Amino acid sequence: MEADDVIKTHLQELRRGTVVVASLTALREPGHGYALLQTLAGYGFAVDANTLYPLLRRLEDQGLLLSEWNTDDSRPRKIYRTSLRGESVLAVLLEDLAAITTSIDRLTQGEQP
Amino acid sequence: MTTTLTDRYVHAVQRSVPEARREEIGRELRSSIDDMVDARDDLERDDAEREVLTDLGDPGVLAAQYADRPLHLIGPRYFLTYWRLMLRLLVWIPGAVALVVLTVVMIQDDSSAEAIGAAVSAGFQAAVQVVFWTTVVFAVLERVDIDPKLPAWTVDDLPDTPDDRDVTLVDTVTALVFIVLFGVVLVVQNFRSWVQGPDGEDVAVLDPALWSGWLPLLLGVLVANAALEVWKYRAGRWTGPIVAATSVISLAFALPFAWLAWRESLLNPEFVDAVGMSDTVLGYVNDGIVAGAVVIVLIEVVDALWKLRQRRLAST
Repeated sequence: MEADDVIKTHLQELRRGTVVVASLTALREPGHGYALLQTLAGYGFAVDANTLYPLLRRLEDQGLLLSEWNTDDSRPRKIYRTSLRGESVLAVLLEDLAAITTSIDRLTQGEQP
Repeated sequence: MTTTLTDRYVHAVQRSVPEARREEIGRELRSSIDDMVDARDDLERDDAEREVLTDLGDPGVLAAQYADRPLHLIGPRYFLTYWRLMLRLLVWIPGAVALVVLTVVMIQDDSSAEAIGAAVSAGFQAAVQVVFWTTVVFAVLERVDIDPKLPAWTVDDLPDTPDDRDVTLVDTVTALVFIVLFGVVLVVQNFRSWVQGPDGEDVAVLDPALWSGWLPLLLGVLVANAALEVWKYRAGRWTGPIVAATSVISLAFALPFAWLAWRESLLNPEFVDAVGMSDTVLGYVNDGIVAGAVVIVLIEVVDALWKLRQRRLAST
């Protein structure tokens, strides 16, 4: 495997879970799939459309997102927003992410556990 | 109405998602694609559409993600169980089937070549069946949402370290298979042979007169040899008594052959006539059998002693 491929694989692994955290956070403001894709890209989350759209459906199936069809615009769009259950899951995930960041910081700075 | 690339793409995705969600997934996907195409206003509309659909990739992959369907035949959850089970079945079933077919065809048919051919082909077919059905079962398990209650791994499943065992199961099974084959050949050659006498009847290779004493003794030695193999497997290693027993049994089997060949009373005289062996050639064959028997005994005894020595060196 080329060195670039190795880095790519590890980055993919590292980012996989963060897309869920980012989506649940961003969808506190209701939005449709493509708008979310743009928001995430704007904040520097490299996520592909073909990963994000199925993910939104999965989160909706798990009850973490709510959705409704908006037919006011020129084309009908499915609008997602984070549910109450999604909020509580997000809180757990954010807490864990913060804990991981803290641990990494302490480890890199050579603090004793 | 003309169909656009987007129509075809959405259709391709819809085709392989569960029917209940087909309509909604299609509708949402279409509006998302339209949004993305609109955003690419730096390109001609057709080019933008082509670009967007290329980025979305194979509709089959996208549909599988929507449907939460695995894109592998057997995933990490079952792969090791699948692999171990298949190897275990492949060790036993094709060999057993081949052995049964070999024995049956040899008893029913004259030709030993035919028997070997039939056995190889049956063994191969059994192997293909084993691989096919194990794979089918596990591929289905991967796709249905039930817990098959497969036994979980425990520390008791750990294999023995190689040092503990000089005599492996494979060694023992191979030795037993050869002993059984040898016994079968000894018995069967009396009734079935590839040589026909002047009246078209089968002619035994070994002198039938030997059945009144020597051949039963040789069969008895084979049984003792099988018992020795089991003893050796249970001990797991070469010991002094096992080496002694191996030497005795090896001698007990080879010496009668050598003695009978030396006395020229091993081969059936009718057989010698039927294949048209001259006295000179018969002399060579008998000498060859004597020499072969001596060499085999020497090899077995030296091999047993060598392995005992290796074991003693390893344990000090």
